[in-house]
Amino acid sequence: MIKQDETRDLTLAGDSPMPKYIRRSVLALSIDDTQLGDKAYASYADAIILDFAKKANVDWQAESKARMPMAIHAASRGAAEVFVRVGCDGVVAELESVVFSGIAGVVVKGVTTAADVTAVASVLDSLEVSRGIPRGTLEIDIEVDTAGAVWHALDIARASERFGAFYINEPALCKNLGMQTTATLAFDPLEYIKSQLITVAISVGGQALGMSYPLSLTHDKVDDDTVKKAVRIARDTGFKGALCAHASWIKHCNAGFCPSPEEAAYYVKVIDVFAEGLKRGMASVPIDGKMIDVPVDLRAKLYLKWANRVQARNEAKAVAHR
Amino acid sequence: MTDNISNRRSWMIVPAHDADASARCADSKPDVVVLDLEYTVPPRAKVAAREGLAAAIRKLADGQIAVFVRIDRETRWADARAAITRGIKGIIFAGPDSPEEVAELGDLITAMERERGVEPGETELVLMMESAKGFWNLAAIAQASPRVTALGVGRIDLTMRLGPVPQDEFRLYRFLMTRALVVARMLRKQPLGALWRPDSRGGVAARDSTAKAAREARLMGFTGCVCATPEQVAPVNEGFAQV
Repeated sequence: MIKQDETRDLTLAGDSPMPKYIRRSVLALSIDDTQLGDKAYASYADAIILDFAKKANVDWQAESKARMPMAIHAASRGAAEVFVRVGCDGVVAELESVVFSGIAGVVVKGVTTAADVTAVASVLDSLEVSRGIPRGTLEIDIEVDTAGAVWHALDIARASERFGAFYINEPALCKNLGMQTTATLAFDPLEYIKSQLITVAISVGGQALGMSYPLSLTHDKVDDDTVKKAVRIARDTGFKGALCAHASWIKHCNAGFCPSPEEAAYYVKVIDVFAEGLKRGMASVPIDGKMIDVPVDLRAKLYLKWANRVQARNEAKAVAHR
Repeated sequence: MTDNISNRRSWMIVPAHDADASARCADSKPDVVVLDLEYTVPPRAKVAAREGLAAAIRKLADGQIAVFVRIDRETRWADARAAITRGIKGIIFAGPDSPEEVAELGDLITAMERERGVEPGETELVLMMESAKGFWNLAAIAQASPRVTALGVGRIDLTMRLGPVPQDEFRLYRFLMTRALVVARMLRKQPLGALWRPDSRGGVAARDSTAKAAREARLMGFTGCVCATPEQVAPVNEGFAQV
């Protein structure tokens, strides 16, 4: 069994098929939501993103500073990682108002260049010191919602060692690209952009979160089977989780963005049978009509490790819910 | 050039040497007439086409038609010299591979504007991308001259250079369209292109398939495309109409 704290193992190499974080389901909630704590707790989401509003005629910085620590605490009750979403415009003031102990990092929207990320990293360097947060621990995730973020994706992902993930905000990105924001095409108009972002994120040891088309642009609530199929396609595309537009997606994301129990059982069988074969001096062994050799064995070990990390994550959440 | 993202939907190609075609081109009501010095002009008619260009541009411009000239990559210097005259809206440069080529053409246009009494900086540049190298260097190429107002995805040259003639949809096309769209939107240029398929190409284009190619491109974020025939103008205008 893998220890729970390994869900944030920063030593995982780039290009690993293992997700850097077990973050299958992410739910965004407003700190103005009076049921924030209950919703976060009941959601079973792996991560919660907190949103705050810059209200007119109100000292939003003072208000945010006063309320954010409690909101962070409330959002983490169910053992979810907690992030705060900030915008690139006025990011210094926003970060100073929302970064407190207890968050795993920030999700930055409106990014167009690598310089935007280095600016955020610089502020986090200072805030970690001034607010008693262990140095270098706050993650920077990028909400991809601009053409610039797509074009400069590699520079953006390389801009800071804090980079953790790309979140693809498809409605906002489509709007920025002048695309239709409803699922009217027979194909995914963002297919190549998604492929690029997934590859770039993994190349620097991070991951990408997103949903498959057309659910990614479907604004209505859909049935469970539709979500399950969409999650499977998203996982097969390379996404490691999704920002859930509806809380009803979460259970399907938690189950789908990881090896299933059946897959995990099969990997155990592969590893055991192959180990026996090696003892007998064989380089490959058959299982259920398929040949198992070194790369298949290696893949099974990696996927089993992933499954174990997921199980640990589930158990940590279960403990928090007792 | 205050608003780089224009909504010119149909860019109709008219052979520059064909006076009759030039006289009739306004009938189909394209948003832009493109006097062509590239493939639609036979080599032996090139010189005559260049010589008649200034008069053709002025005549169309007098009729309040937006006139561009598509120049041949191989003879772009002579073509651009012939094209810059009062009344021209811009130059279409098909197949740029590097920022240097675009900057050089921009400088030539500047010199010609000065010589011909054209308002400095008014002549736009539209880049039609037709090569792998061009697509890879797209952002730098598009920023090589402030004259660039639109980025387009080429057709025949593109398929020739990047793959065999497809039996069905040229699947690489969508990747290249995405790349062009991202850069165009990032730099606030007009994205030009349509999701062409074998039955919607050039002279064999059916009305419905042309409208479909344009409509799908609009849904993908494009706002206009080149029309190879007058018959394509109406379905293209319809397909790119904002709903």
